[in-house]
Amino acid sequence: MWTINRYPGAWLLPALLPVILLTVYPIGHALWTSLHEVMILFPGEPFVGLKNYQRVIVGDYFGVALRNSLVFTLIAAPSVVVFGTLIALFLQKRFFGSQVLRSVVLLPWVLPGAISAVLWVWVFHPSFGFLNGLMIDLGVIDTPIGWLTNPRTALGAVIVAHVWTQIPFAVVLMMAALSTINGETLEAAAIDCRSAWKRFRYVILPEIKSMIVVLLVYNALTAFTSYDIVYAMTGGGPGTATTLLSFQIWRESFSMYDFGAGSAVAFIVVLISAMLIVAITRALPSDLFAGE
Amino acid sequence: MAGRLHPLLTFAFGALILLFSGGPVLLSLYGSLVPDKVLLSPDKSLFTEGPNFDTYRYVFTGQLPDSYNAEGTNRAMISDAARQVPQALVNSSLNALAAMVLNLILGAPAAFVFARYIFPGKKVSFLYLILSPLVPAVALVTPIYMMLQAMNLVGTQLGIILVHTAKALPFTVLILSVFFRKIPAEIFEAAVLDHCDRFQTFWRVAVPLALPSIGATGLFAFMLSYSEFMFAMILSGSSETRPASVVMAALARNTDVSWSLLNTAIFIAIVPTLVLVILVWRFVVEGLLSGAVKG
Repeated sequence: MWTINRYPGAWLLPALLPVILLTVYPIGHALWTSLHEVMILFPGEPFVGLKNYQRVIVGDYFGVALRNSLVFTLIAAPSVVVFGTLIALFLQKRFFGSQVLRSVVLLPWVLPGAISAVLWVWVFHPSFGFLNGLMIDLGVIDTPIGWLTNPRTALGAVIVAHVWTQIPFAVVLMMAALSTINGETLEAAAIDCRSAWKRFRYVILPEIKSMIVVLLVYNALTAFTSYDIVYAMTGGGPGTATTLLSFQIWRESFSMYDFGAGSAVAFIVVLISAMLIVAITRALPSDLFAGE
Repeated sequence: MAGRLHPLLTFAFGALILLFSGGPVLLSLYGSLVPDKVLLSPDKSLFTEGPNFDTYRYVFTGQLPDSYNAEGTNRAMISDAARQVPQALVNSSLNALAAMVLNLILGAPAAFVFARYIFPGKKVSFLYLILSPLVPAVALVTPIYMMLQAMNLVGTQLGIILVHTAKALPFTVLILSVFFRKIPAEIFEAAVLDHCDRFQTFWRVAVPLALPSIGATGLFAFMLSYSEFMFAMILSGSSETRPASVVMAALARNTDVSWSLLNTAIFIAIVPTLVLVILVWRFVVEGLLSGAVKG
């Protein structure tokens, strides 16, 4: 690390300015909205303090939506990172068809969210879904399961679809991170240590740790704030089985026209995702945020 | 990578990845090749009826598939949106390419400085970048729309590109700085001994060494822009500038549209993007495997 005495504006501002432009005013505006009563149907926007937050938290859906969002995030984000890392480790090997497989892994990435949702609805469809057909043919089940209409399986089904869409990105970044490991280190490790698990634990893992943290943070954020796939697949149902907190922002604002309440939910989401990120960086210390 | 797996285990793991990643897309290819009647009937299949390219012909030439001209069929099953797919792909690719190039040009210098230097205001700037994407985009749609309207950018490609660039930049900087940190310090010390100034160290040493990683990061920005839906929807204007995610969502949410036509649109939308992504990824992987970057 070298020291510069002056703020290196010429290097940083090109990246910071677009981000500042599209965050300072919009976030300020959203914060203002969350503290006022902003409803399209009623004129005037009186200051109400934290009443929007209070109203949202005691509302019927809040508890269940928060629980669903947390379950969704706590399962989806680690799954993406674990499967992404496993697939990346696997794809580093050369074998017959490895080139093809490297390309196929990227497939889910090139589909917009709405389309991924359609494909997975088709996989899980109760009457002509692929999964039910396969399981009946294999004799695992006798009658089709309504994966997306049964409250017990719906959340699991949408988590699978979400993880599917996020894995390619994790694989790409993890392969890039793996390849920056010094080849001689790996050769030395192969000589010194016969256990593949120990080699991974003590040689490879420390090298890719910061990438794991980056991916975990990114995926926790994506899982906690995205709703498009879930909404397109189940619409939050059956009942409230897949109702997510992030979807409530949209519902309060654009279907109830209660923008104050919508923004209040948004800032509750911000608060929780900030806590998630702090928890991740605390649990997995890496040099990423240190050294300042 | 060191370590060898049993060939059978390799095969099993490979097949599992193939099935999970490619399975739903294969189902879509299958769906695009047969009319709805065949798809929904239990005793007919692609193998008994043979492939049917009518829906592909419709998307490119506008000639209606035969099965929809038959008497008593529902004309609502054909949607004009399917015909917009080729143009939408061009729009999306241009947007995403612009967002990718802008992300790398604007983000790489910042990532380099974050990775290698200590300077006043570092922590604040870094935290700002990392924390800004925390706010859910849904809550920012209204103010961002009003802002871009004031700048006369609503309904233009430029507005979408600007929003997508800003959305991806924090992650671009974060990811690139991880890669720049990986380059051994000795290489930079050697550059300084050879009288490289900061820009030369960045441009002639750091960028070439991290080029494959930069490619992977660029791919991330490209795909983020390509698949983003919400801002693309509210900022795009007429059908000539609409990107693929918006057109595809319109098709997917229209429950009347035939499965066959929808799957055709999906498949047409996948192929060019996939080719593009694979080309970039090949370059990345080959760069990575060539060993030139190993520190």
